[in-house]
Amino acid sequence: MKKLILVSALSLCSINVFAEVAVIINPSNASSVDADTIKKIYLGKSKSFSNGDKVNPINQDGTSVADEFNDKVVGKSSSQLNAYWSKLVFTGKGTPPEKLTTDQAVIDFVAANNDAIGYVDSAKVTDKVKVIATF
Amino acid sequence: MKKLSVAVAVCAVLASSYASAEVRINGFASIVGGKSLDSDSTLYGYDDDISFKNESKFALQLSADLHEKLTATAQIIARGEDDFDATFEWAYVTYEYSDELQFSAGKMRVPFYKYSDFLDVGYAYRWVRPPKSVYGIPFSTYEGVSVVYSSQLGDWDSTLQGFYGAFDGDIDVFGTELPAELNNLGGINWSLSYDWFSARAAYIVADTSISSEDSGLIGLVSVLSDSGLTNTANDLITEEDKTSFVGVGFSIDYENFLFDAEYTQFEVEDSILPEQSQYYASVGYRIDSVIVHFTYEDNDDKHDSSRFNTIESIPTLNSAVNGALEGLRAQSNVYTIGARYDFHPSAAFKIDFSRFEDDITDTETDVVAVGVDLVF
Repeated sequence: MKKLILVSALSLCSINVFAEVAVIINPSNASSVDADTIKKIYLGKSKSFSNGDKVNPINQDGTSVADEFNDKVVGKSSSQLNAYWSKLVFTGKGTPPEKLTTDQAVIDFVAANNDAIGYVDSAKVTDKVKVIATF
Repeated sequence: MKKLSVAVAVCAVLASSYASAEVRINGFASIVGGKSLDSDSTLYGYDDDISFKNESKFALQLSADLHEKLTATAQIIARGEDDFDATFEWAYVTYEYSDELQFSAGKMRVPFYKYSDFLDVGYAYRWVRPPKSVYGIPFSTYEGVSVVYSSQLGDWDSTLQGFYGAFDGDIDVFGTELPAELNNLGGINWSLSYDWFSARAAYIVADTSISSEDSGLIGLVSVLSDSGLTNTANDLITEEDKTSFVGVGFSIDYENFLFDAEYTQFEVEDSILPEQSQYYASVGYRIDSVIVHFTYEDNDDKHDSSRFNTIESIPTLNSAVNGALEGLRAQSNVYTIGARYDFHPSAAFKIDFSRFEDDITDTETDVVAVGVDLVF
């Protein structure tokens, strides 16, 4: 019983503290993208959607959703991710995803670009974009 | 001159692309202060006075997409050891044929080691400097072409690179700057990685020429030639001598445990340069934003015994040749203990303590270095 209370308390906490991350694409994009592919896209290892179109990923800069996404989906801290990208950038092997600073900016960008993929706080999602996964 | 023209060409391309393409600017910097703890010996350029110049550097990279598949990149670096004179470290154009295949041409990094490509980007590794016993080849760039093929083999990421070109410039040969040329410089390397494990192998060849004009060798070489011992003389000078390099290594980044090891072998046949073999093994442990690490390095430079006593009929010259060959014998170990603290998403603080043991002279030198590495 005590355990159950503890578990419920923890889960309440986690709902309060951590927002759910929604990965979004343009509604016109019919590609299916699984968690592993999302990770590969954000590490620059996958460059195309399943339909063959070039993918244009958008990151968030310094937001709590970004920390959440890096931790849950990419599996790296922001420092580790910076070190990872510096290895690619300074050797001409890759360019990190462009960064926007708010959920709304990401939604607007994804709504306006067929090849875009982004992530936002799931509470902020609007019908201008399509959610393909939540974490 | 050739080098300059490559750099100028890439810059011209970058400048002319201003109107049509976006130019990305990235940079990195390392501010490192250090000193030797021994009053009579220097290591990594440090003597017993604190220097903030020796290993500090500042770099800017400009890159522009000229076309969907064509990118021009130039990296300009100012090193404290060169009085912060800015030079083009990289200047190249890349054509991305497909997601898997890319071609580059220009001035690029010779892919000797695992960390070769980002040797200068301190932020990308845990040490103040990569293990010098292994990362010791006195030149790091070439002008030529490179092809990279990236693919997936099941769950493994595979990267295969081939390159061909030349190096022309002054290199540090055991403490003396000498003009050198490496022609037909080419090689192949293959990296395989799977989540927390990666392995790499590299093979590189070249024809190496190093001027003996300014070296102490020239006197001995002319006496040998005058005595009709042309073969012995030729075996001391470095003139279009076949050169080979082999490097293998692997890395682990599992949970919070880090491990790296590399082994390299380097030989310039029939020259005064001894066969060199070196390795390092390094362990690290990550605790939140801090990594603590320990590294052991080993270096062994020596000539094969068959190179000695080749002209025993002339004892004085024989011992002079033996002396010249033995003079470059080196055997040393380095122990480094250090820590890295990521105090900001784009900046890391580092401290390394290294002990260098010279087994030939039976001496020890300690160096401590503290630094901040940034990317921006």
